[in-house]
Amino acid sequence: MINSDLQALITTLEMATLTTIILLIIGTPLAWYLAKMTSRFKVIIEAVVALPLVLPPTVLGFYLLIAFSPEHLPGKLWQQATGQQLAFSFSAIVIGSVLYSLPFVVQPLQKAFEQLGDTLLEAGALLGAGPIDRFFSIVLPLTKASFITAASLGFAHTVGEFGVILMIGGNIPGETRVLSIALFDHVEAFDYARAHLLSICLLLGSMVLLAAIYWLNLPKINKAKGLSSQANRKEGNPDD
Amino acid sequence: MTDTLLNKTPQLDLNITISYQQFDLAIVLPIPLKGITGVFGHSASGKSTLLRAISGLETPLKGDITLAGKSLVNTEKNIYLKPENRQVGLVFQNSRLFPHLTVLGNLEYAVKRCKNRQLSFDKVVELTELTPLLSHQVRELSGGQQQRVALARAILAEPKLLLLDEPLSALDQHSKTKLLKMMLNIQKQLDLPMLYVSHSLDELQQVCDTLLVLEKGEVLNFGNIHQVIHQLNNYGDNAIIHQQTSLDLPIKTFDNGHGLTALALNAQQDIFLLSDKAFEQQNQLRCFILASDISITLTEPVSSSIVNHLFGVIKQIDNQENNVLLTVHCGSQDFFVTISAFSQQKLSLTIRQQVYLQFKAGAVRTFIH
Repeated sequence: MINSDLQALITTLEMATLTTIILLIIGTPLAWYLAKMTSRFKVIIEAVVALPLVLPPTVLGFYLLIAFSPEHLPGKLWQQATGQQLAFSFSAIVIGSVLYSLPFVVQPLQKAFEQLGDTLLEAGALLGAGPIDRFFSIVLPLTKASFITAASLGFAHTVGEFGVILMIGGNIPGETRVLSIALFDHVEAFDYARAHLLSICLLLGSMVLLAAIYWLNLPKINKAKGLSSQANRKEGNPDD
Repeated sequence: MTDTLLNKTPQLDLNITISYQQFDLAIVLPIPLKGITGVFGHSASGKSTLLRAISGLETPLKGDITLAGKSLVNTEKNIYLKPENRQVGLVFQNSRLFPHLTVLGNLEYAVKRCKNRQLSFDKVVELTELTPLLSHQVRELSGGQQQRVALARAILAEPKLLLLDEPLSALDQHSKTKLLKMMLNIQKQLDLPMLYVSHSLDELQQVCDTLLVLEKGEVLNFGNIHQVIHQLNNYGDNAIIHQQTSLDLPIKTFDNGHGLTALALNAQQDIFLLSDKAFEQQNQLRCFILASDISITLTEPVSSSIVNHLFGVIKQIDNQENNVLLTVHCGSQDFFVTISAFSQQKLSLTIRQQVYLQFKAGAVRTFIH
């Protein structure tokens, strides 16, 4: 029976890893676009991205369940393309997780890109660096801390997901049965010993992950802040 | 035909319009790519916008920009080169160094992306005196050092034209003088044409051969720097500069016993100014005398403490409210003098009248002071 919990752990890690990778791939350009956007539609896009923060996960799950069903266009197209049903599949919980964890990746990146501004990018362009080159040679090294934060929060939030997966996953072992669902099952079956075991593992795991992010990021942020303010002071008072 | 084209100095041809809330920037001008061309004007005259337009950072513009025969912008033909493809360098007011790289890293950033690689890295580092700083983090540098790194980095990208947007404005006087001399030396050694924006006429007067004056987005004057400064004197009450005589004269002798340096104005007349160590390395000196620092006498002031007195003939008299601007021709040089309307009446000065100009050695100013 412990094997089934191990299976759920593996499914959870696979889902969270894949979700994080997808989130970084789509979240980075989205965050960039939002950071540079001056149109009044910006607030609408920002609100849509932030929606999963306030929306009950079951609401998102409910609409996704309907959209993923073969009777509706997204589900139909998926079935035509892959030959498999989208609802109650691993792909469904990954798509659901991506939408659900989007703000956790987009928001820190957007803030970092906004803070970075255009000045250094303009300097890079005038030295002959094209847009892709500028992203990898200037943006990425200077916003590394925010990328670590975004990826870790996206991963951790996906691991902790429950409502959306409950609605669209269907609790299929090895496919859509993740840790949080397994825990719920144990409680439902009054198997408190195994519920305790899973809970303590999730609690400690999350704790270790968050501590690791703060440990990785905080000293560097403090250091950078201290030194950049020092540089600012120097700027006005040069002695050569 | 080909010969004349080849012999012609390459030009930066501007024909641009940029719309603003307060005014339109509209410039139609060929600028010869030779030496350092100054761009002067008050804030919001369009100086920085002009540089951003040339470098490709200011996007909404109409017209065309051609750099040495290469079209950078031509809105009719739908040409708009991105900044990275223009071969135009820009040194900003704040150095904009990459904080995650060392000094060497910042310089290599430019070298790696340069397509020509004709310049010697060591030579540029030597010219900008950066050798001892290469391994430093940029945040450890002083303002002056940061600007030197920014200058070297821009040069290493091997632009056809280097733009400088108030590069000295955040620096102290000592760093300003040092960097200004460095820029002049670099310009001569590398033969790199520069367009230098500043609101400080003193800075520009030191290094520029040609001056472009902008006011509310339009070209007010363009030409030889001394001539342009003298033309600006005549804008009367709307003067955008302190009225002055701008000079570029050979150094004749150093009178170290008295701390004076003599400049040869013409075969008969010299101008004396207070010596400075820096003069010893030069044989030519740029200086200026404010019109308000010169006074007029009708007889030769032989028994005066004031060291400079020049004989001249009044060429022009312009009345400006309570003051009078006199243009006095001394040998081959015009001098500009402001006196009160009261004094003008008292001396009853007229055109073609012979007068003596008087000014103290300390009134002959250079940027170094």
